[in-house]
Amino acid sequence: MEFFKKTLDPIIALAALAVLNIFMFLLMGAWTVGGGETMMTGLTAQAVLGDDLQRLPFWSVVFPPHADYWKIYISFGMLFGAFVGAVLSKEFYWRVPRHLSEWILITIGGLLMGFGIRLAYICNVSTFFGLMPEMNMGGYLAMSGIIAGAWVGSLIYKKILEG
Amino acid sequence: MLSPIVECVVAFIFGSVAGLLMQRSRFCNTAALRDAIMFKTYRNTKAMLVAMMILTVGFTGFMSLGAGNPLRFDVGLNTFAGLFLFGIGMVLAGACTVSTWVKTGEGNLGALWALIFTFVGMFLFSVLWSSSWWPPAPQSMTGQINAPALQLGFANAQTLQEKLGIPAIVFGLVQAALLFALYRGILKRERAQHVEHEKHQKEHKKTKAQPAQSAAATTETA
Repeated sequence: MEFFKKTLDPIIALAALAVLNIFMFLLMGAWTVGGGETMMTGLTAQAVLGDDLQRLPFWSVVFPPHADYWKIYISFGMLFGAFVGAVLSKEFYWRVPRHLSEWILITIGGLLMGFGIRLAYICNVSTFFGLMPEMNMGGYLAMSGIIAGAWVGSLIYKKILEG
Repeated sequence: MLSPIVECVVAFIFGSVAGLLMQRSRFCNTAALRDAIMFKTYRNTKAMLVAMMILTVGFTGFMSLGAGNPLRFDVGLNTFAGLFLFGIGMVLAGACTVSTWVKTGEGNLGALWALIFTFVGMFLFSVLWSSSWWPPAPQSMTGQINAPALQLGFANAQTLQEKLGIPAIVFGLVQAALLFALYRGILKRERAQHVEHEKHQKEHKKTKAQPAQSAAATTETA
């Protein structure tokens, strides 16, 4: 199939996704990532710590872990969809970062993303494809934050690349 | 209202289509911002703007009719600070939350690693929150300005519509027009880059051709 041979124009992909996202907005809520990940974190922590998790009120007040939280399944869906796409287009292969520096950057980056999402209560998807189109004041705050952050991140990245 | 199971199934289908489209188009939110800042290339930025235009008109249009489920929670300084940290993190990790899932699906173990540490970061925040109780939990949000907690309250196209009596779509069209102006600005910039690039290539060819000509001239005289 042609679809799995050529790279899709991202404008077409995102326009299609936007239309689907409008359906999501009408049914449940706009596309979001972060809430699902938090639930996964909570469920994992509950499995590991058991009742000890109750000592952290965050997991009873803000995010009581529930496996039937729909946002979790958006993320699993993305993993599944990308896997199917990669296999059918013969683009699936194991990729492993080679240098220690890459692993360190990824670790720091991951930590900052996780911490940042929870501090803000939203992530970049809800910023651009949820809050901004809803014209939520938080969308503008978040967008200025993420652009400033991406700029600082790029400066750090350039420094590391050059050094 | 849909039952939780139906919601999960719908979410999974939506996610699968999203993952497939992202994988086939190599779209990435991180690249949309990073490439525009670092390399002045806009392949992903343009796609992001197109989606935002469609969504703005779609969401505000339905909000004018009272339909849809907009996100409801107060925002404040934490919104800015959190996304600032997120912005640094996604450039360092080379992927945002969406692309970590998509890249993991392609077999990228670095992306899986980023995802694991996103979870760790979330857990660390939960520890911090449990001692500070800041920012306020969605359950205790009031929608009003709360200066001691650095909260600015809640406002979107719907609240504007309720307060001013002007349909949300009007604000949506203004925002879509601004996004379109930004999109056209990028197209203009790309054209200018293209012209510059062609000029460089021509000059490059000329400088390459000149020594060859002079070399030819010397052999002729000899």
